[in-house]
Amino acid sequence: MRIRVDLDLCQGHAVCKAEAPGVFDVDPAASRVVVLVERPDESRRAEVRRAIKFCPTRALRLDED
Amino acid sequence: MSAAPEVPSAAAPAPAARRGKAPPRLGGGWPLLGHLQQLRRRPIELFARVRRECGEIGEMNFAGSRVVLLSGEEAQEAFFRGSDEQLDQAAAYPFMTPIFGRGVLFDATPEQRKQGLRNQSLRDSFMRGHAEVIARETQRMMAKLGDEGTLDLLDFFSELTLYTSSACLVGKEFREELSPEYFRVFYDLEKGTDAIAYVNPYLPLPAFRQRDRARRRLVELLSAVFERRARAPKERRELFDVLLSLKQADGSARFSIDQITGMFISMMFAGHHTTSGTAAWTLIELLRHPEFGARVVSELDALYADGREVSYQALREIPQLEAAIKEALRLHPPLILLMRKVMFDFHYKEWAVPAGKLVAVSPAISNRMPECFPDPDRYDPERYAEGREEDARLFAWIPFGAGRHRCVGAAFAMMQLKAIFSTLLRDYAFELAQPPESYRNDHSKMVVQLAQPCRARYRRRSARRSA
Repeated sequence: MRIRVDLDLCQGHAVCKAEAPGVFDVDPAASRVVVLVERPDESRRAEVRRAIKFCPTRALRLDED
Repeated sequence: MSAAPEVPSAAAPAPAARRGKAPPRLGGGWPLLGHLQQLRRRPIELFARVRRECGEIGEMNFAGSRVVLLSGEEAQEAFFRGSDEQLDQAAAYPFMTPIFGRGVLFDATPEQRKQGLRNQSLRDSFMRGHAEVIARETQRMMAKLGDEGTLDLLDFFSELTLYTSSACLVGKEFREELSPEYFRVFYDLEKGTDAIAYVNPYLPLPAFRQRDRARRRLVELLSAVFERRARAPKERRELFDVLLSLKQADGSARFSIDQITGMFISMMFAGHHTTSGTAAWTLIELLRHPEFGARVVSELDALYADGREVSYQALREIPQLEAAIKEALRLHPPLILLMRKVMFDFHYKEWAVPAGKLVAVSPAISNRMPECFPDPDRYDPERYAEGREEDARLFAWIPFGAGRHRCVGAAFAMMQLKAIFSTLLRDYAFELAQPPESYRNDHSKMVVQLAQPCRARYRRRSARRSA
């Protein structure tokens, strides 16, 4: 799986960071998400899916390879 | 979504590098005023006519201000992906400057705004505390209701959301200083957004005089508050006490009371009439569709049967209630026209909009496009159920706008509405006190408000009747 970000949509709410710490971070200066692990381990799928689902701006999506 | 991920918006980098056709102009304008009178009377009809007669792009004329309306999912996406440098939000709302005052929010450059009031209180980590405050404020309003009676939906929700917004966004101590007079003053400010401001925002008209009187009164009220607050112990100081105490090098105050009043208005404005109106419409639609209303009430009864806190549940899923709020937002978006000023030529397909004109998108039109929302005029909260999820069309379902400038308080607003109805509908049952079709919005001002009268009857639910 691979995380995709639409930076036109992200506003830096940091919900993803709360759901999947270590996978996402937020750059406070830019108020934008930083994807720390673009291809996270399969074991983190549930957290990553929650991060995507609860993103207030729907800026994230998951691509299957 | 069509755009490639991780690529910032594809705004044309070089001004005047491309040629393009001028967008078609909408007919039926008056001399000088253009379509201004139609904007002030039946704005949604006007925007629908642009789409019908001109297509996905068409130019309106508001007393010399040329506003190009983009509609349809693709054209709206181009609008929402425009960069700040190309499409400036600040310059597009002349009717707001006399309300905020000079030097506040919409009067600042995009760069100033980026560095300025970044509202930390909207961060996700604060939400639980906010939910608690909102539930408590709702209970305080309910304490005034008694066992049964009728209430005016505009007055009730305006007052409630004034308290919740100020307690969450400004400060809890500050909120205690507010009286019902504030929401009436705020209402007059909101009514001061007549589109005739496109001619001149300072014309000697009743709505503008009332607006300016309201603003002066607000400065007066806040001056008294700040005087009292100046004597408050240091550990109880909040945002405004700090702003007020800032000094310049020569010892004079950094911000005047007038400026601080402007900051207060700008912090409150975006979240107040919008949430208040949405709360009212959510309730009206639930009462117009009692079978769905009953589903929401049983959903809440089941969720809270174990005595859990509203502040816990309001941050989590309440699917039927959320669907009801989303459907109220789709049918009655609080903002019906989102605008940007074009800073250098904006291209869309074969068209070009030159610098100086405004481009706009209308949530009221978009939210009812039949190609995105089947049977668009029908109240149908099932649209948001799994499998349909019509709100996932990010550039079509746009009660909060879209893209970088999407309402930054959207998550807060949804949580707030969930907390309000979790509290309200557990203790009270409501019914319409007027014919169902008599509830409507007043579109004579740019800030849309429920038209009065808009009354509802309430009675305490029997199991919870006070002894």
